[in-house]
Amino acid sequence: MALDAAHDAAVPSRAGATTGEDPGWFKENRTAIVRHAVILLFMVIILAPLAWVLMMSIKSLPDSMRGDFWPRKFDFSHYSFVFERIHTLPINLFNSIYVTTATVLTTTVCAVLAGYALVHLRPKGAGIVVTVLLVSLYFPVRVVSIISIYETQHWLGLINNTSGLILPYITLQLAISVLIMRSMFQLVPHEMIEAARIDGAGHWRTLWMIGVPMVRNGLVVIFIVNFVTAWGEYLLCLTLVDDEAKRTMPVVLAAAQGGQGQWAWPNLAAVYVIVVTPGIIAFTFAQKLFFKGLAEGVVKG
Amino acid sequence: MAETIASDQAGLYPGRMAGYLAQLRQGAGAWLFLLPTLAFFAGYQLWPIIRVLWLSFTDYQFLTNDPSNWVGISNYSEALRDPLMWKSLGRAALFTIMFLPGTIILPLLLAILIDRVTQPRLATVYRVVLLIPAVIPSTLIFVLWKWMYNYQVGPINHFLVSTTGLFTLHNAPQWLGGTALTLPSIAIMEVWWGLGYHTIFFLAGLAAIPKDLPEAARIDGATEWQVFWHVTRPRLAPIVMILVVLRFGTAMAVIDEYLIFGGFNRASPTYTWTIFMYDQAFKTGLWRQGYAAAIGMIGAVAMMIVMVFLIRIFRPRG
Repeated sequence: MALDAAHDAAVPSRAGATTGEDPGWFKENRTAIVRHAVILLFMVIILAPLAWVLMMSIKSLPDSMRGDFWPRKFDFSHYSFVFERIHTLPINLFNSIYVTTATVLTTTVCAVLAGYALVHLRPKGAGIVVTVLLVSLYFPVRVVSIISIYETQHWLGLINNTSGLILPYITLQLAISVLIMRSMFQLVPHEMIEAARIDGAGHWRTLWMIGVPMVRNGLVVIFIVNFVTAWGEYLLCLTLVDDEAKRTMPVVLAAAQGGQGQWAWPNLAAVYVIVVTPGIIAFTFAQKLFFKGLAEGVVKG
Repeated sequence: MAETIASDQAGLYPGRMAGYLAQLRQGAGAWLFLLPTLAFFAGYQLWPIIRVLWLSFTDYQFLTNDPSNWVGISNYSEALRDPLMWKSLGRAALFTIMFLPGTIILPLLLAILIDRVTQPRLATVYRVVLLIPAVIPSTLIFVLWKWMYNYQVGPINHFLVSTTGLFTLHNAPQWLGGTALTLPSIAIMEVWWGLGYHTIFFLAGLAAIPKDLPEAARIDGATEWQVFWHVTRPRLAPIVMILVVLRFGTAMAVIDEYLIFGGFNRASPTYTWTIFMYDQAFKTGLWRQGYAAAIGMIGAVAMMIVMVFLIRIFRPRG
């Protein structure tokens, strides 16, 4: 690591050329090789647990107890088994999809409207709103507020109600989503908004036709951030919903004791893969936009 | 100009109504855009905190019909006299100390290595892999690692017992479930979880450093360490500060992990102030939520005080 790779390759290559031997090539690129080896080691560490679950989900039952990474016999039937035999599973999965979709859509709409208003309409008191949102990021709101959110939901008759979860879920990442949208809209020149207004477009039209297309990358970021939060939320669902059938997937998975009956290890792993894959696939497709949005909105803000 | 158009459009409506609508558009229009956000935020972030603050001064119990009474600061003085309060705060701090250095230093190291990868396709692949753990929802990370650490089928113990033979089935380490190893195990999991995401943060910071700066320093004969310390480090200081403060906040207020890995055994190292609060509010007796509120407030305020110091320590100079 003593030298930059390009530098390293350029300078001693003269020496390598005179000897003209393979060990010379190794010496020249030693730092680059070590660097790639270290990066590769980190990549393996990141991917190994996921590879383990994936393999577990396609192992035969005896292999699942053996612990070897590569099974002696593959068995792909666990995926259909969990849907056919675990009766609450489709319900839990539906609960998760329903609650997450509602949360992501509502939060995104809220954040776009608020971000636009804070930057381009600048009402009096906008500064206070931004300050309060910022401060809320540093206070452990999620933990402390659980006491009185229970009371609120009880008062609204939303205890043990799956739809009731959507309300607190919306606010989990609302502050950060608004702040991301705010920094995205700061990149939209005020003159463009003004021009659209002068051409006779109302605020709604201006936002929809001019604003939203320009903050597309930020939308991807808050979509993913809110999806990840709602899809995996545990504390609120555990506290506010008692019935197994009304709960979302994360709470069910966390409570499942591996190895027993319907929750035999490969079944459990299959459910896990089903729950975790949509997010990873969606991210892989959206990653270009996501990284652009991250660079524009998050790191700056 | 904009005003005339607005009132022209509103001209469809009868006079007074039109004027009113135009005025509404101009003045309150902005607040209309903010309304959904403010309504949700007030209802589920602001109000709960105010309500919990209020509750902390009462003897409120959830499972009783008796009206609650204002008791002043007696919840606070009771909590501060309770050794469990201090112990549970200490446990949260211990976890934070185990977790924080690893989650800053490892990603920084990895980012410096990946920043030098010049092959664009390889760089993209690395970035995608890095962010995979970040798009896996929290609970699914915990469930995954609950299996990693599993006593019977977990690959970690499989490696220690069957592959290397360092341990036997009888003395193989019990990682989770409130043993002494539980906090370090959770810390390792959290470092793994944040590794990719934090590396991406640092990579963005490194990309903002003009490439000729470290080059010039090297030509002047600076060692690689000097380049890092005098050129790279000061420019990454803002990112380090944000990560230290934010991760300190998440680490001190961890609760889901402790619920999943530890439970409500008061002797467990996972019984921190968050679990203490939850236990009092939803598990013990008649749900003494007034007392629980005081515990929560003490924990939150203690955290915020340390955060202020961290901001002062890590604030970029110059």
